[in-house]
This record gives sequence, structure tokens and C-alpha cells, in this order.
Amino acid sequence: MTRPYNRKKIFMATARALTAQPAPPAAAKRRDLSGLFGYVLIAPPVAIMLLLIFYPAIEAVIETIFVSDAQTGQTTLSLQNYIAFFQDPILRANLTFTVLVTLATVFMLFVVGYPLAMYLRFSKSRLAGTVQVLTLFPLFVPGVILAFALIRFLGTHGMFDTLLGIVGISGYRTPYLQPQGIVIALVWEHIPFTVLVLTAGLRQVEDAVIESARDVGASGWQIFTRILLPLTTRSALIVFCLNVIGVFGAFTLPYLLGPAQPMMMGVSMQQAFNNYQDRIGALTQAVLTFLICAAVGVLYVRTITRPRER
Amino acid sequence: MATLELIGLTKKFAANNAAAVHDVNLNVGDGEFLCILGPSGCGKSTTLRMIGGFEEPTAGDVRIDGQSVVELPPNRRPTAMVFQKYTLWPHMRVFDNIAFGMRLHHVPKEHIDRDVKNALQMVGLSGYEQRYPSQLSGGEQQRVALARALVLQPKILLLDEPFSNLDALLRVRLREELHAIQRRIQITAIFVTHDQEEALSLADRIAVMNAGHLEQLDQPSQIYAYPKTLFVADFIGVMNIFNATRTGDSLRVGQYALKGATGVRGDSNLSIAVRPEDFTFGAPTDSHNSTEMWRGVIDQSIDLGHYRKVLVVVPGLFENETTALAHRLKVYMPKSADAKEGDSIALYPTRYLVYTDHTQPIEVRNQALRTSDETRRDDLSSVAVSSDALANSG
Ligand SMILES: Nc1ncnc2c1ncn2[C@@H]1O[C@H](COP(=O)(O)OP(=O)(O)O)[C@@H](O)[C@H]1O
Ligand SMILES: [Mg+2]
Repeated sequence: MTRPYNRKKIFMATARALTAQPAPPAAAKRRDLSGLFGYVLIAPPVAIMLLLIFYPAIEAVIETIFVSDAQTGQTTLSLQNYIAFFQDPILRANLTFTVLVTLATVFMLFVVGYPLAMYLRFSKSRLAGTVQVLTLFPLFVPGVILAFALIRFLGTHGMFDTLLGIVGISGYRTPYLQPQGIVIALVWEHIPFTVLVLTAGLRQVEDAVIESARDVGASGWQIFTRILLPLTTRSALIVFCLNVIGVFGAFTLPYLLGPAQPMMMGVSMQQAFNNYQDRIGALTQAVLTFLICAAVGVLYVRTITRPRER
Repeated sequence: MATLELIGLTKKFAANNAAAVHDVNLNVGDGEFLCILGPSGCGKSTTLRMIGGFEEPTAGDVRIDGQSVVELPPNRRPTAMVFQKYTLWPHMRVFDNIAFGMRLHHVPKEHIDRDVKNALQMVGLSGYEQRYPSQLSGGEQQRVALARALVLQPKILLLDEPFSNLDALLRVRLREELHAIQRRIQITAIFVTHDQEEALSLADRIAVMNAGHLEQLDQPSQIYAYPKTLFVADFIGVMNIFNATRTGDSLRVGQYALKGATGVRGDSNLSIAVRPEDFTFGAPTDSHNSTEMWRGVIDQSIDLGHYRKVLVVVPGLFENETTALAHRLKVYMPKSADAKEGDSIALYPTRYLVYTDHTQPIEVRNQALRTSDETRRDDLSSVAVSSDALANSG
């Protein structure tokens, strides 16, 4: 029953699946195609998904819920691994921390993303083109480079600290190795996607729709809350789901920028696997992470496949 | 109810060199229905949007009941706008669409319920309160948009091609309904359209625009009978337009002579405009006034129910006879006329307008060439278009 090499491969595949960006909504769109041709088209991606995601995921689940007794060698169905996870205060803290960092990051993404998207949608100034390029810029910066750039910029005695010093502000405390550091980096990393999707959503709102609201007396804020927000819920849900999934499973940035304790799930898994050689522990964490992301994934799929009834 | 004045209204967009709207002056009376008519891109919407407050004029003033409103945002102007399409808020039911503005103004609920009901009744959509816009046809959507605009009791109703996305039959029906509603509540209305039939059938007066300029402001019948510029002559209704040259009192169109333009001065290069119904006919063999008679061959004869439209090829009439199709004379004949394709025909304009570069058009009535016996007269009367008719278009 021992196939260490194979098991490791399965774990790595699971971890990859978790940290990678989720599959695009292509599969959902292709459902429209009817007949054999449609099936032929979707066969390769489905096969790859089954092979690389569902099979390892199910195997991981099975492996974590069947516990074999060391003495008797008897295998029983048990949630013992999960109970162990939740009884461990450090792991519990890691999970809570991951949830909090994810929520904070996604919240900040909306706070930063909506104004940027509104600006790009409504500005007639020439600056808008430049802003558009700037919002896409993070797409072209690899995570590792970003992490070190942020350390140089935001670290103690970094450029930001120096600039503050010049204007006479002292007592700067760097977000490096703090939870804020992770949030800042993850927000930066996910800005392009957030702004792209929100801008696309806002562009679908016709000018006449907004101008009619102005005509009957809606203020700018009322137009935002009563017209624009309700008409962009779909985009906002897509942004929410994909960002939650992406941030929850993040590894590089939390690993390089975050505190030693608590740590995000990606880092925690890696540590369990590499440092403690606790394969089952790492697998349990991976399954938990997977389940949480899968729940959000279901919400995502329902959002994008729900017909626009309006 | 209110009056509207546009004074030197001008709009230049940064992106374009030419002004989208250039020095437009006009007055609209209380309860009047004014149509702004012109080809696409001539500045109609921009003018309307400046009245509604959606576009800031580069120069000029907009006054409602004598009060300047240019500084006010749309919601503080006593105007309400109906747009061409996508006007309803798709996430709100019909009721909420109409109630939205009143809710923003904290109107008590009983009033809202009553007013929404009345507004829907006015546009013939009682019972549609709980529908979403996507559950309405295009025509119903525009009716709701109209109800939503009227429910706030604006002084001036602004409509930007509200029916142009609907099919022809529905367009005519909604046009008639709008007209009836406007008459009943006697609201001042400004209606933008590129469809002259729509303008002619709705408007008390029509403002014809071209390339940002107001070309003519007049009653529909005046616009049709006395188009003030060559552009209006060409744009409104069907018109035959020729280049002409003047020698003394006689005009020459191609190889034909036109007598009797006594009022024409100035330029020797002129344009002549003739409506298709302003022709008289002679027998092709008639030798009478043979230099004035235009002789041609019927290229196409179309029975249009109550009259007959014939397209006539007249050699030597148009200057550049490169494309034959574009240079056929458009003529309306009585339905009874025996006009078959390939028949020879002799005809002559009994009324035409002469356009020079600088002066107002001159109307020429020419009855001497009536070959049908009893109306034969010897005078050629040349009448400058009455100054009244043209003065009120300024
Ligand atoms: N927001 C804008 N920015 C730049 N140019 C514009 C804008 N709106 C209209 N224009 C230009 O102004 C002119 C008049 O446009 P518009 O008033 O919409 O014409 P119409 O409604 O008669 O079709 C057009 O040449 C158009 O391209
Ligand atoms: Mg327009």
C-alpha cells in the first residue's frame, strides 16, 4: 500500500491545483454547444481536470478520512485527522488568520478597485489611458520580484521610511513581516483582475441608464448605490469568488512577506510537508483549504451560469 | 408649462474642431410641440442635452420661463428626458422605475402609489407595475420611460429619438399617443428626430438643423412650401434640384430656358428647386413653347395608391449626367394619368424656388405654360417669398 513517490505527486498536484488560478469560465460557456462536436471540444479540459484535480483531490480526501491503526494495521473511517487539526491551536490560528487575511484583502480590493473602475469607466480625460496601463502593470511583475520590491520600499529604512523622514515623520513601523504586508502585496497582485472585471461590468451600464437617474434627482452616491452597485453585482460576485480562491491559496507572497506565526494555509501546508515531514497533516490542511475554496467555487459557477433574467 | 429660449447656444467638444452646435437661437412657446429635425450627427442630441443639463454649453444661454438654467444640474431643471434606448433601470420593476424619482424626493407613499397608477394609466399600461423591463416589449419600455418622465410633472419634456428603435407601425402608434398626451396635459415638448415624417406629423414647429446650425424654424407647412435654404429644400420632402445660370431675367437649366424670374439678382450661378407635384404636362407633340417644354422619357412609373410617381429621364437637364439613376426627374401625376414606362412626356414646372448664395429663396409661379386651355394666362408671375414667411424662421 505504500507508494511514497506517487503520493507525493498526488499531493503536489493538489497543492498546485489550489494555488493556481481557477479554470476560466470557458467550460460553462461551452455547455451551449450541442451535439458531439461540443463534447469533443470539452473532452480535453475535462480529462485534464479529472486527472489532475478531481482524482488527486478525491484520493487525498479518502486518504485523510481512512486512518490505519499503527499496531493492528486496521483501517477505519475516522475524522481523526481533522479533529487533530482543529485541536491544534497553531493550525487553528493559521486557518483563522488565512480567513481574516483573505477577507481583508478582498475587502481592500473592492475599496481600491471600484473607484479605479469607476474612474476608467467614466473619465473622459487622457490620463485614463495611463491609469488603465498602470492598473494592468502588476500582471507583468512576478510575485517574487514584487515581494522583494515591497521589502525594499516598505521595509525599515526603506524608501517609504526615508520619504517620511524627509517630511519630518518618524516612528514608521514597517508592514514587512506583519499581516498588513501580506494584504498590501496580495491587493497589489489582484488589482488588475479586479479592475478589469469591474470596469467591464460598469461598461455594460449604458450612459442613458445613469443619466435618467441624474435626471430624476439622484446624487452621485445614490447613483452608485441604487444603480451601479445593483447592476454590477454579477461582476462583483465574480471578483469576490475568484479573489477569495486566489488569495486563500496564496503561497509566495505570504511566505516571503508574512509573519512567522500565524501563517497562511499555503505556507502552513508547505511547512507541514517539508519541515515536519507530516504528509497526512499537510494533506488534511490541503483538503480543508480545497473544501473552502470549492464552496466559493460553487458560488462562482452559479454566478456565471445563472441566466441574466434582467 | 413653460417657455424655453435658447440664446446663442454653442457647444464645442474638445475632440472636434467644428462646433457640434453653433449659435442656435430659438424660442419655444408655452405648450408648444417643437421638433428638432436633421440628419444624424447634426447636433440635435447635443442641443437637447444642453437643455436638459447633461452637456454644458461652450457659450450661450438656456432660459426656462425667462430664468437661466445653464448653471443647474439636470435634477434641478424643470425638464425630464426620455432617451432613445436603455432608458429603464433594468433591476427595478416598472413601479419602482416610476417611483424612483419621487422616493428620492421623499414623496409620501400614498402619493407615490396614486401618481404611479395615474402615470401608467396615461400611457395605457395599467397593471404592469410588477414587471421587470426585460418583460416588456420595446414599445412598452418607452411608454414606461414616458410615464417615468411625466410623473415628476416637469415643465418641459425632452425626447431624444424615443421611438427610433421601434418598428414602423408601432412608431406611428406611439407617435400618435404621445401627441394626444402632450395635447391633453399641454406640456411644452422638444422632440428630436431624424425622421421628417415623424417631425411633420408631430410638430407645431420644426427646427431643421444641419452641421450644428439651425437652418430654419417654422411650421411644417411653411418648411415644406418655403424651405429657406437649399439644405432644407433637399432634406424635407422630395425635391428636384438643378443648377441654373442667369442672364438678365431669364434662367437657363441645362439646355432649357426658364422664363420669369424677375426678382432674381446677384449671382449668376443659382440652384432651382421643384417639388414633384409642381409640374404641368403637355402632349409630347405639342409645339407650343417648345423651348420651355422639357421633353423626356418615363423611366419608371410607380402607382402609390392615391397618386402616381414617375421618374423621367430628361436629356440635357442636369449638368453632370454621369449616373443616370441619380438624375431622374421625380414627378407626381394624378393616379388617372396614363403614364407607362417608355412613354414620351413633356412637362414644365409651374412653381419653383430659386436659391442664390446670398439672398432668401425666391418663389416663382409660372402659369403661362399651362397648355390645358382654360387656365391659359399670359402673365408670368414672379413672387418673392413673402417676407413674413421667412422672417419668423429667424
Ligand atoms: N461626447 C462627445 N464628445 C465628442 N464629440 C461628440 C460628443 N457627443 C457628440 N459629439 C459630436 O457632436 C456632433 C453632434 O452629435 P449629436 O448631437 O449626437 O448629433 P445628432 O443627435 O444630431 O445625431 C457629432 O459630430 C458628434 O460626433
Ligand atoms: Mg442623436
